[in-house]
Amino acid sequence: MSETQGQRVNGHIRERFDTLVVGGGIAGLESALDLAEQGYRVLVVEKEASIGGKMIALSKVFPTLDCSSCITTPKMSAVAHHENIEIATHTSVTAIEENAGTHRVELVRRPTYVDEDLCIGCSLCEEACPIEYPDPFEEGLGSIRAIAVPFTNAIPQKAVLNPEYCIACGACAKVCPTDAVKFDQEQLIYHVDADSVIIASGFTLNSVYLKPQYNAAMSRNTITPMQLERLLAPHGPYGRVLRPSDGKVPDSIAFVLCAGSRDQSIGVPYCSRVCCMYSIKQAILLSGAVPLADITIYYMDIRAFGKGHEQFYKNAQAMGINFVNGKVARIDNIENNDMSLRIENLETGQVEENRHDLVVLAQGIIPQPVKPDGLNAVAGDDGFVERPEIHRPAWTGMEGVFVAGVAAGPKDIVDSIMDAGAAAAEASGFLSRREEKGKMFF
Amino acid sequence: MRTEENNGVPGEDIRIGVYVCMCGGNISDVIDVDRVAAAVGEIAGVTLAKVHPFMCSDPGQQTITEDIKTQKLNRVVVASCSPFLHELTFRTAVGRGGLNPYLYEHVNIREQGSWSHKDDPDGATIKAIRLIAAAIGKLRYAEPLEQIQISNFRRALVIGGGIAGMRSAVDLGKRGIEVLLVEKEPSLGGWVKEWEEIYPTGGKGAELIRRLNEELERLNEVTVLKGVRVSDLSGFVGNYNVTLENAGAGDEAELREVLGNAPYRAQAGAIIVAAGFEPYKPRAGEFGYESFPGVVTLPEFIEGLSEMQIHPEGRIFWRGRTVGSVAFIHCVGSRQIEGVHEKQDDGKINDYCSRTCCTAIVRNAALIRERFPGVHVYDFYQDIRTYGRGHEEIYTSAANTGVTFLRYHGEQPPVVEKGADGALLVRCNDRLTFGEEIEAAVDMVVLGVGMTPGAVGKVSEVLKLPVGADRFLQEVHPKLRPVEVSVNGVFLAGTAQGPMNIEEAFSAAGAAAAKASILLNNSTVQLDPFKANVDDESCIGCERCLSECVYTGALVMKEAKGTDGSTCRKAVVNPGLCVGCGACVAVCPTRAIYVNGWTLSQYEAMVDGLLNAPREGARIENA
Repeated sequence: MSETQGQRVNGHIRERFDTLVVGGGIAGLESALDLAEQGYRVLVVEKEASIGGKMIALSKVFPTLDCSSCITTPKMSAVAHHENIEIATHTSVTAIEENAGTHRVELVRRPTYVDEDLCIGCSLCEEACPIEYPDPFEEGLGSIRAIAVPFTNAIPQKAVLNPEYCIACGACAKVCPTDAVKFDQEQLIYHVDADSVIIASGFTLNSVYLKPQYNAAMSRNTITPMQLERLLAPHGPYGRVLRPSDGKVPDSIAFVLCAGSRDQSIGVPYCSRVCCMYSIKQAILLSGAVPLADITIYYMDIRAFGKGHEQFYKNAQAMGINFVNGKVARIDNIENNDMSLRIENLETGQVEENRHDLVVLAQGIIPQPVKPDGLNAVAGDDGFVERPEIHRPAWTGMEGVFVAGVAAGPKDIVDSIMDAGAAAAEASGFLSRREEKGKMFF
Repeated sequence: MRTEENNGVPGEDIRIGVYVCMCGGNISDVIDVDRVAAAVGEIAGVTLAKVHPFMCSDPGQQTITEDIKTQKLNRVVVASCSPFLHELTFRTAVGRGGLNPYLYEHVNIREQGSWSHKDDPDGATIKAIRLIAAAIGKLRYAEPLEQIQISNFRRALVIGGGIAGMRSAVDLGKRGIEVLLVEKEPSLGGWVKEWEEIYPTGGKGAELIRRLNEELERLNEVTVLKGVRVSDLSGFVGNYNVTLENAGAGDEAELREVLGNAPYRAQAGAIIVAAGFEPYKPRAGEFGYESFPGVVTLPEFIEGLSEMQIHPEGRIFWRGRTVGSVAFIHCVGSRQIEGVHEKQDDGKINDYCSRTCCTAIVRNAALIRERFPGVHVYDFYQDIRTYGRGHEEIYTSAANTGVTFLRYHGEQPPVVEKGADGALLVRCNDRLTFGEEIEAAVDMVVLGVGMTPGAVGKVSEVLKLPVGADRFLQEVHPKLRPVEVSVNGVFLAGTAQGPMNIEEAFSAAGAAAAKASILLNNSTVQLDPFKANVDDESCIGCERCLSECVYTGALVMKEAKGTDGSTCRKAVVNPGLCVGCGACVAVCPTRAIYVNGWTLSQYEAMVDGLLNAPREGARIENA
């Protein structure tokens, strides 16, 4: 394979690393780079088929409105090309066992049914495949073939076959110029040693169906924030903002904040920390994309606490985005695939029924269910990784095991990057001292 | 060798590859990228011109590296976003392809093209063609350049011994890097050492500082100097020279032992600025501060907590007063609004959120209710921003202990007045009761003051550290490069950069330590070659360049021997300090000075390129 393709084949992965980074999102990538730049050997393990995490799928970031893929791809690329970093995608960490001062790590690579050594990312298989299914990268709004490179700027650029949809017609194998399609590929279990570990396993979002009174299951126009990110991305599924049910340009859009957070009834009592800001950002982007639409943000408290965030909030108000104070009590699906939002408006004291034709539910951030054997001890009550010492915010309490980013609780990109740097600093300090046996440092 | 003398087409066959990026629609929705590629493909010397959906993606970069090999390209142009984002990305890709990385030109057709000319696709397309043509012109005269290597003094100077500075010093020390930590106060620990209770973990601030101190003391790599401040600074990345002076509380004997006799000088390759914050100081009369007894700031209240005694009936007895009711007011000195709040001394308002006060206030409100159950507590807020892990629980517990919350509108802050009976009256239109005017009579008002930047002093002055509209030090990129500043070798840790809570300041300090470690990992520092260069033979020693240069020390005059053996003076460039601005080039009467990679012949070629750019294959008439 070409030297520059970023991913060594799993079989070729060296057996010993200074640091294992669990998760190839922005926090994991930043930690990996901070360590690799100091000469440490790093293995980044990513369960998806590409590194880049959630950030690569975002449209723009707050409050700078930088195009997200434009600022994520350089990090991805830097990691992929770094001589001290190896990447294992489509791979999960299933066990981490401390063993004589290092960590024995069990990795499971799920089959992609494509030989990564042979695949050249030419996409001929994709063109030949007759099956399409809802594209997970486009949050189900677009479609993708059953065998395809996951998305345009994915790293590595290797086709992945989805066995749930594949009909095994063999069309892809026929056109593949390198005979890379392997229908008989099996999962691969292998082990590496890593002296230190950084958990950067990130987050997932809780279901929009959790609150039955929002009736999201029966409405195609009640969407998730990640779906709206894709609609707003210039290279998104429709190339413009249209509502899913009928392709109509929406003219009254509602954001429902705290739809999955600060809510005891759904088991997420905490604040997800980023929803206020991304909703404001999305509202600002929508006022450019659909200038005639009315945009309303229903909120309890606006938590614009970060650097430049309050000013961003003020800009949104000045742009005519409507902020209504009150928690949405219920959402009814009404005629024309529109929604009616019931709310007690705290400014007026009135109970209102407001009609909107597109509704975005700010889901709560919950931890990615990553529980390798041997790491159970580090999860807190909220499921996020626990950090017992406030003055060492990257330390999990386990010797040589650190945490970065949202794995230790919700936070935005910049705070994740700071965390990632702190984890790299802790890991490098630990690695520097590893030779000094008997001199317990922590 | 001066490029001037190479005027004309260099000997080798020029083979330029031009890549036009669509940026996933960010560019191609406005600019006709196919037309651009077709037009620039016509220019002499251009071997190929391609369009790609994301040049910065791995496949995009691979196209470059493969074309360099298979098409024998010897120059590359990428037309995409701002060079701030991806110039380095593509330079590196060009290097991977086996070409000198400086035979590369980056053209910005997004920020300066598709985004700024959304309403004029045709004009934006023509502009893109012209800009690329200029870059092609410039590349014709480009020569391979090498990075400049300078020595690196592998020690970090950490300025500020609060929690952030201490954390950075511990992290660097553990990494095996020598650290000089300087603090102007007689002891380490900054504000935190004073704090009665830290959230969300509980425990005293002083205990936290004690543990950090213990870690510091175990590290031979870290030297701590207390009671000193930076009095002077010079130098550049890898080679900073700092002069320290006794700030009044310094131990002269210790200073002499560490740094030799006065003046106390030290060298460092990297500087971490951890200058911290100052609590906002309300103006006299602002919410009754300094006008009415009983109006205190939150830090003053916290300082007093340990002296507060419980009075019968559960009230507070403090400094001779009995306190039966307390009102907290949020956002004092934060989230200020033009026209509503009085301007600060510098004519600005503090429009930013101080991030930490909400949780600190609700925790202290709950603390009063827990310790002094006979006290009524009112909390006047705009939004409760208990965003952090474990913070929402603190808010809930404050509500559960019986704190009364009142919500005011940012444009109508509460008013504090003195009542007839001596009580303090706090009034606001409460949004929680649909705008009802509510008045609370209380014995004490606690102002939840925000953070303002701490004094950075000499370092900021000498290094011209960038400052944001909020007066805090400004990072390179608020999203992706939060601890670096535009001055090479200087990093930010903690609240010098903006409000942060303890946990966040620790993280930021760790991140700063990581970046400093990367820099100090090697005994040399690599710099881009875009620095001024002097041709000794042409330099007549007129010193005009010197008077034009604003970067102290970047240009100096040195004695040199002329060809006839006589001594003369010549300009010499210090590449560590030169920023390659070109001001010296403009005034040199003999064209003896030029900036690497930006020679005058390259400028001429760029102008020619701009004016003679092809338009859809044909030359533009009357351009």
